[in-house]
Amino acid sequence: MVLELRNAKKTFGEGNTLVEAMKETNFKVERGELVAVIGPSGSGKSTFLTIAGGLQSPSEGQVIINGNELSKLNEKQRSKIRLQEIGFILQASNLVPFLSVDEQLELLNKVKKNNMPKEERQQLYEDLGIAKLHKKYPSDLSGGERQRVAIAKALYSNPAIILADEPTASLDSDRAFEVMELLRDETKSKQTATIVVTHDTRLIKYFDKVYQMTDGVLELQ
Amino acid sequence: MFLAWSEIKRNKLRFLLITSILLLVSFLVFFLSGLANGLASMNREAVDKWDADAVLLTEESDKSLYQSAFNKEEADALGADETAIVGQMGSIANNGDVKKNVIMFGIDPEEFVMPKVTDGAAEFSVENGVIASDALKDDGFKIGDKLELSSSDTELEIVGFTDKARFNASPVLYMDLEDLQQLKFGDAAEINADIVSAVVIKDKSWNSLEVPADMEIIEMETFIENLPGYTEQNLTLTYMIYFLFVISAAIVAIFLYVLTVQKISMFGLMKAQGISSSYLAKSVVAQTFMLALIGVVVGFGLTLLAGSFLPSAVPVQFDLPTMIIYGLILIAVAILGAVISVWTIIRIDPLEAIGG
Repeated sequence: MVLELRNAKKTFGEGNTLVEAMKETNFKVERGELVAVIGPSGSGKSTFLTIAGGLQSPSEGQVIINGNELSKLNEKQRSKIRLQEIGFILQASNLVPFLSVDEQLELLNKVKKNNMPKEERQQLYEDLGIAKLHKKYPSDLSGGERQRVAIAKALYSNPAIILADEPTASLDSDRAFEVMELLRDETKSKQTATIVVTHDTRLIKYFDKVYQMTDGVLELQ
Repeated sequence: MFLAWSEIKRNKLRFLLITSILLLVSFLVFFLSGLANGLASMNREAVDKWDADAVLLTEESDKSLYQSAFNKEEADALGADETAIVGQMGSIANNGDVKKNVIMFGIDPEEFVMPKVTDGAAEFSVENGVIASDALKDDGFKIGDKLELSSSDTELEIVGFTDKARFNASPVLYMDLEDLQQLKFGDAAEINADIVSAVVIKDKSWNSLEVPADMEIIEMETFIENLPGYTEQNLTLTYMIYFLFVISAAIVAIFLYVLTVQKISMFGLMKAQGISSSYLAKSVVAQTFMLALIGVVVGFGLTLLAGSFLPSAVPVQFDLPTMIIYGLILIAVAILGAVISVWTIIRIDPLEAIGG
């Protein structure tokens, strides 16, 4: 089990103003699995994603990433877990505007412990079809290209988990399908546990499992 | 360093602007320090050249050479390692073309205040011969010039030049004490033959010398600080320099803070991905260091370049160790200016950056 939520719950406020953003949730994902969490905006998808990604702690329950129980760690240690174990693909392009494609990965190379050998990095570029773009800056790339670079960043040095927040939001259908195919191929070949949060129901055919989030309740479809 | 330098390369213009401001501030700091040093030299270089430890003056003169007069035998009674007598008189010297305010020091050529000449005769080879400060050369004075004085009919003759011989902003004319007494007291010279203004003392343990009645022994530095206008002028320039340090810290702080605020969401995303605050903070500090270093080094070079084009009338004199220290302080205060940005980065919540 790579990622597990045990009786995790997130509430904000107290008394009359208490809001349950995420009701008691049990969730598991294994290596090689591509999982979707779908639901309308405001349903608690993002809360789920940030808790699963160790960006915030659940009010109750546990989050276990690769054997590490997150609630027992401080922010510095959680930051380390995020860096080493999780690849994020975010809705807003998570590229650094003043770094070229090569430098985006070079930055990870500087801060991450387990680095990717040069050949493997080259293979990653080719898998994602961005080998020719490596000298370009984000402002020179199309939305699809940018998202592929973001995927390359997320996959850099083979994290256990990929968390993607609306990775196809800014893309047309063809590009969106392309990106999903890439994610599926990489999930299978790299044996990562990939969770995609989306409201885009066109994509459902790509997933092994689909969860529906409604008013803070997560249900397997 | 990687992140810092990549950003500078990609955003040359905005970093060029801040570097140029740092450059101008450092130029001003270096220039003012040169000016302070040059003005100080104008006042004290003759005294510095004596390389003495203390000076004997009358107590009622209140540490002023101009107001002090006493019998030179006091020097013998001191029992110091080495002493030198100095008489003084101010005047206007006129070589026929140029008039110049000068101060004449009457000395004993056998004693250590006797200057080494850089040009001309090494002794007072003729009656009323003087060894003049080479600052007068720039004004058109030459060896062999006959100098008319404003206060006497006696003519002096320049027999040699020496370097570093200005006192209280006037070029010094060194001459035999006997000649000076004649000039100063005229017919009364005989009676006043033993009257001097000061006795310069070379003795590390001057503090333990027995001070004669109504006299005062003061350290050379104290003597210089009490020259008219010296301390006031120094403090003014020093305060300007200190203020510039504060200004450059403020400029850097504001600029970096604006840049950091612009990048909050980017830093938040990086933090969400697990890049540590300390890495990002180090990057900002490294960036500040690079900008400040470039600004200060170029400012340093420009200051020296500008200094070499200045007319000699501008009393700028660069002291490299002082400039290097000021340069390091400028870099240090710039980095201090980055502290607000570092604090901002540490406080960024990655959760907000990804809109969770």
